[in-house]
Amino acid sequence: MEIKGSVALVTGGGNGIGEAVVKHLAKAGAKVVVVDMVQKNIDRVVKDIKAMGGEALGIQANVTSEADTARYIKGTIEAFGQLNIAVSCAGIIRDGTMLSLDKETGKVSKKLGLDKWQAVIDTNLTGTFLTMRDAAEAMVNGGWQGLLVPISSVNKVGQVGQINYSSAKVADALMPKIIVGEFLMRGIRNIRCVAIAPGYTATPMLTGMNQDALKAILEDVHLGRLVAPEEIASLISYCVENEALNATTIEITGGLCYPKGIAK
Amino acid sequence: MPSLLYNDMQFTVEPSGNRWDISYKLPSGGSALAGAGLFPGLSEADAAVRALALVKTIFPVGIKSVGPDVTHPNRIGDLKIVGPDVTHPNFIYWDKDSVSSPKTL
Repeated sequence: MEIKGSVALVTGGGNGIGEAVVKHLAKAGAKVVVVDMVQKNIDRVVKDIKAMGGEALGIQANVTSEADTARYIKGTIEAFGQLNIAVSCAGIIRDGTMLSLDKETGKVSKKLGLDKWQAVIDTNLTGTFLTMRDAAEAMVNGGWQGLLVPISSVNKVGQVGQINYSSAKVADALMPKIIVGEFLMRGIRNIRCVAIAPGYTATPMLTGMNQDALKAILEDVHLGRLVAPEEIASLISYCVENEALNATTIEITGGLCYPKGIAK
Repeated sequence: MPSLLYNDMQFTVEPSGNRWDISYKLPSGGSALAGAGLFPGLSEADAAVRALALVKTIFPVGIKSVGPDVTHPNRIGDLKIVGPDVTHPNFIYWDKDSVSSPKTL
C-alpha cells in the first residue's frame, strides 16, 4: 500500500511515538488525523504538519470511550473520505508492584489499587481494541486497503512493577494473530494487522527521567541508546508499504537484553 | 473567512493557500485547531459547507432520552418505580442542536 494519498489516524498522536508516526506519514504524503487527550499537543502537531504542507485533522478524544472512538473514525471519513492506516499509540503507565510489604513485619502493607489496574487496561487494551475495531469496520464497509497497527511493547514479556501495563501489552501483541485470522475466516482481504513492540524509546517520559536510572536501563541495550520515535515511525511506514507483513508483532528495541546478555 | 456558530461554539474557516484551516474558540478565550490544510481547491462557500459537516461530526451534540424500560418497573420494598410513558406526546426525545432548539419546553 502506498503512503502517499492514504489516510492515517494515530491515537496518542500529540506527543512521543504517536507524534513521530503522524509526522513521518504526513511527510510521506498521507493525510493524517491526530487524536489526543491534550488539545495544545494537537494544535502543535497540526501546525507542524501544516508547515510541512500536509493535511491534518485534530480531534481531542479519550480512546477508552466508545462514543469518542466513533466520533474520530466518523470525523476522519467526513474530512478525508476514507481511512487506510490506524495506529493505536495512546497509552499510559501507572506502575507499582501488586503487593508491597512492611519491612519490619513482612506483612502486606499495600496492594496495587484497582484504579491503577483499570486505568491502564482501559487505555492500553480497551482503547486499542476500540480503535482497531471501529477502524476495521470503516475499512470493511468502505472497501479501502487498510493496515491496523496496535502498539505493544517489549514489556509484553513481563516487567516487574508493571503487571497492568505488561498484561495490556501482551494482549495488544496477540491482536494481529486473532484479527487477521478472523479476517481470513470472514473473507476480509483488504485489511492487514501488524503490531509494533518498541523497547525503551526516547519519549519525553524516558528522556526526562533520572539520568542514573536511564544509564542503568541503557546498559542492557545492545545499541547503547534509546530507540528514537522516528525509527519506530519509519518501521510503521515500512509495514504500510510491505504487504507481506501481516498477522505478526515486530519488536524494535535496539537489542534489549537481560543482564548477562540474554536477548529479551 | 467564513465563521460558523454551531452548538454555541464559534468556528472560523480560514484560507491557507488553496486550502482551509478550521479553528474554534475555547471557553477559556483561547483558540484551538480542528484541522489544517483541508479541502484543497474548494471555494469559500463549499469549504464552509464541508467545515460545518465536519465539526458536526467531531463535536456531536444532543441528548437522546430513551427512558427506562417501562415494561419492567423496579421495586424497592413495597415501592414500585414506574418510568415515564415514552409514548405520551409530551415525552420529548431531544436530539436537536442546542442553538436551534426551543428555549422553553
